[in-house]
Amino acid sequence: MSALQVQAGELLASGKAEVVIGYGEGTRGRVRPVFVRTRADVSLLVFDGRCTANLTVYLAKPEVGRMGKAAIVATPGAVRSLIQLIAEHQVDPGEVVVLAADDDAVTLLTDPAALEAYAAAHPVTIPPEAKAVTESLARMSAQERRAFWDAELSRCFKCYACRSACALCYCTRCITDMNQPQWVCVAPHALGVMEWHLNRAMHMAGRCVQCGSCTSACPAGIPIGLLAMEASRSVEKEFGAQAGLRCDAPPALSSFAADDRESFIL
Amino acid sequence: MCSDPGQNMIKSAIKEKNLTGVVVAACSPRMHEPTFRRACAEAGLNPFLCEMANLREQCSWVHPRTDATTEKAIDIVSMLVAKVKRNAPLFPIKVPVTRTALVIGGGIAGIQSALDIANAGRQVVLVEREPSIGGHMSQLSETFPTLDCSQCILTPRMVEVAQHPNITLHTYAEVESLSGFIGNFTARIRKKARSIDERSCTGCGECVTACPIKKIPSEFNAGLGLRSAIYVPFPQAVPNKPVIDRGRCTYFQKGKCRFCETKCPAKAIRFDQQDEILDIAVGAVVVSTGFTVVETSFFPEYGYGLYKDVITGLQFERLLSASGPTLGEVRRPSDGKTPKNVVFLACAGSRDPAKGIEYCSKICCMYTAKHAMLYRHKVPDGDATVFYMDIRAAGKGYDEFVRRAIEDDEVRYIRGRVSRVFERQGKLVVKGADTLLGGQQVEIEADLVVLASAAVANPGAEELAQRLHVSYDGHSFFSEAHPKLRPVETNSAGIFLAGACQAPKDIPESVGQASAAASKVVGLFSCEELTREPVIAVVNRTAPPAYSTCAGCFMCRSACPFNAIESEEIKGRDGQILKTLARVNPGLCQGCGTCVAFCRSKAIDLQGFTHEQMYAQVMDLFA
Ligand SMILES: Cc1cc2nc3c(=O)[nH]c(=O)nc-3n(C[C@H](O)[C@H](O)[C@H](O)COP(=O)(O)OP(=O)(O)OC[C@H]3O[C@@H](n4cnc5c(N)ncnc54)[C@H](O)[C@@H]3O)c2cc1C
Ligand code: SF4
Ligand code: SF4
Ligand code: SF4
Ligand code: SF4
Repeated sequence: MSALQVQAGELLASGKAEVVIGYGEGTRGRVRPVFVRTRADVSLLVFDGRCTANLTVYLAKPEVGRMGKAAIVATPGAVRSLIQLIAEHQVDPGEVVVLAADDDAVTLLTDPAALEAYAAAHPVTIPPEAKAVTESLARMSAQERRAFWDAELSRCFKCYACRSACALCYCTRCITDMNQPQWVCVAPHALGVMEWHLNRAMHMAGRCVQCGSCTSACPAGIPIGLLAMEASRSVEKEFGAQAGLRCDAPPALSSFAADDRESFIL
Repeated sequence: MCSDPGQNMIKSAIKEKNLTGVVVAACSPRMHEPTFRRACAEAGLNPFLCEMANLREQCSWVHPRTDATTEKAIDIVSMLVAKVKRNAPLFPIKVPVTRTALVIGGGIAGIQSALDIANAGRQVVLVEREPSIGGHMSQLSETFPTLDCSQCILTPRMVEVAQHPNITLHTYAEVESLSGFIGNFTARIRKKARSIDERSCTGCGECVTACPIKKIPSEFNAGLGLRSAIYVPFPQAVPNKPVIDRGRCTYFQKGKCRFCETKCPAKAIRFDQQDEILDIAVGAVVVSTGFTVVETSFFPEYGYGLYKDVITGLQFERLLSASGPTLGEVRRPSDGKTPKNVVFLACAGSRDPAKGIEYCSKICCMYTAKHAMLYRHKVPDGDATVFYMDIRAAGKGYDEFVRRAIEDDEVRYIRGRVSRVFERQGKLVVKGADTLLGGQQVEIEADLVVLASAAVANPGAEELAQRLHVSYDGHSFFSEAHPKLRPVETNSAGIFLAGACQAPKDIPESVGQASAAASKVVGLFSCEELTREPVIAVVNRTAPPAYSTCAGCFMCRSACPFNAIESEEIKGRDGQILKTLARVNPGLCQGCGTCVAFCRSKAIDLQGFTHEQMYAQVMDLFA
């Protein structure tokens, strides 16, 4: 048994968790989420390089909440999104324990302070290919950037996998699904797609924890996470607030500090 | 349109054509919306189904007379028509009112407000930080412009406060927090441990005599007299009950003494008394926490407070006062001799941008004239000299008063600023320029120098303002809602200002403002319920299992400048929490709409300006 399986088994046996949300073997060599509720089933749990999807996306769902106290297998990015979910009052820190996993170790995190310490010790890592795109985007003129995104987004067919993969897209009803009034055009044509993604980027500003889950979920291979990440980096630059580091962080955009830079006010 | 015939046209159109909405294309809603809404209401239409298209400020006044201007006017009207189609009838909100007022600060302003409100039959809770009420006025000798004795006119009012059946007095107490909203505040008050059982203490003063620690500078005497560790600040104090200064008491510091306890015939000393926390429901608040003056140590050029015979005006009041350390004889602090040459410096610190106090302290011209005059009365063979920048004596009988000082009491007024006060061979020398004589240098030897030192905000004013959510200016004086038209209101509904906490003021002005604040409070308390405009934010409700599209992220809560957003739990039959949502407190919401802009899921909406209405209005422009 792996260290992860042992720890998961202990949590279930001691009643510290009633369900363990983790990765299991899927089809065609891929991993899939598993919900382990008995000790016997801990053997289903795996953790390796294929496990990148952010499982905290399940935590804010009412049906998962009804399963009882949860233990969740989390990558560093997922730990950050859990912290952000706590800060946004979506998860009660008393109702979840974390099996933080990275390549070589499994760490049990049971309270906000431990989560914050873990997040601080595991800074954001950007995959080299994403980094290359970001850097080339930074060198482009506004028109070139627009052309880049027009080309990328021309492949988007509004499957909303990016939204489903993002732990922080937990709204009861997403603004794109509203029809009274209809804020965002539903059609997957150029304008509709641009409206949708600009909206999502704005809604993620100051909240995106840069886990990369949306980008990996996109079946069209669009590096869609870059928009949210860039919006969040601007907020960080202006207000010094990086999402996913403090469980009691006030919302970066709707809170005020006396020393806010306000450099954008002309 | 706003005339009677115009209104009648609207009224008959509503009746004849069965209108379900009205757009008046005229001036700004600020001006006549109430007029037209009232007209609609009189014709039986819900007033919130009437909208104003502002053709005056937004079109005809700002554009020339062209076709484009006419087109714009048509667009504006058409947009409002699109909006009004989606207007819903709204109904005024009723909020209950707790008809008890909290008055913070028991100086003359607080005393006046408390008495006025109490005499109108309402309950008042008066909270004073010091062991006695009275404020600065209790320290004054005689008062300009009539020279009546300050204590003599103040003490009866202080006693009236203590005895008034409608006033609850908490001295040696502070307001720790204020929550809630107009009509419905909760004030948390910390009553500091006095170390005395106020009920059994008879105020005999045996304990004060017994206390061996007697060399503490007395605050009441502005440091010129002494007091004991257990003390009554002054003989006329209300309440006339001592308090133990725990920082100075030998028992509290070293664990031994308790002399006062052995001498107290009423067994009223309580060394183990704890601070008491009281939560009090109030409907309105009057803030009257007054001011203070800068000390001599503030002035490097006048000796940093090192010269004993350079004192502030407040200290001079104590020297003049019959209840003061010299029993009203003018004797200087250094050697107790009667000074024969007194120099008064007006504007000490005030109107001096270099010192950060660019404003006029307003009271100094008058009290300096008073000081010089009283000194001349008490020491007829003494010389009084006043250095001034200009004399500001606007007020009933004020200029006459200053003239009297100059002409009848022969006070010498020199126009000019004093650059330095220093000691030469054991004597103080005042060096300045006489600007009326072309800047000629003057040096005057003085036995005593009195600084009319600047009036500044009380220490702790900012913290109090933050606790009460009222704004304050760059000098930490509390800000009124409008400098001309709403001088006693603050920007927080239900909180009013009185006295020198708003800006330096003399007694008549403080009392006037205090009565004004009281009348606002009494007006507020005249009804059992407050009626408010229903233009407030609401969080939507939908069918289960969502209950609302609000996800409970509470981004709106930190955005709301009025603390109007709270959380609400939706519970199932078994009491289990199904969802936690935002809820807008209708009593607090001011309808600013800030929250609406932040809500990602558009779950919060502003009544009268809903998303649907705004969207229709904007889209109409592009249609
Ligand atoms: C030297 C001098 C001479 C003067 N002579 C005259 C004169 O002759 N004629 C005249 O008309 N005016 C005179 N004045 C002005 C007069 O003193 C003021 O107008 C008056 O005291 C203002 O009253 P107030 O109640 O606003 O403030 P204050 O008298 O300052 O009273 C404020 C009260 O609030 C209390 N307080 C402060 N903070 C808190 C808190 N956080 N919580 C609870 N309580 C608090 C204080 O302890 C105090 O009791 C003179 C002023 C000075 C300095
Ligand atoms: S996952 Fe990709 S294709 Fe689907 S909506 Fe998002 S960006 Fe478009
Ligand atoms: S938007 Fe940010 S937080 Fe959400 S999935 Fe993408 S990278 Fe993660
Ligand atoms: S911002 Fe919107 S979703 Fe979030 S708590 Fe407020 S009303 Fe609810
Ligand atoms: S409309 Fe303004 S005052 Fe009302 S709840 Fe929203 S932010 Fe607060």
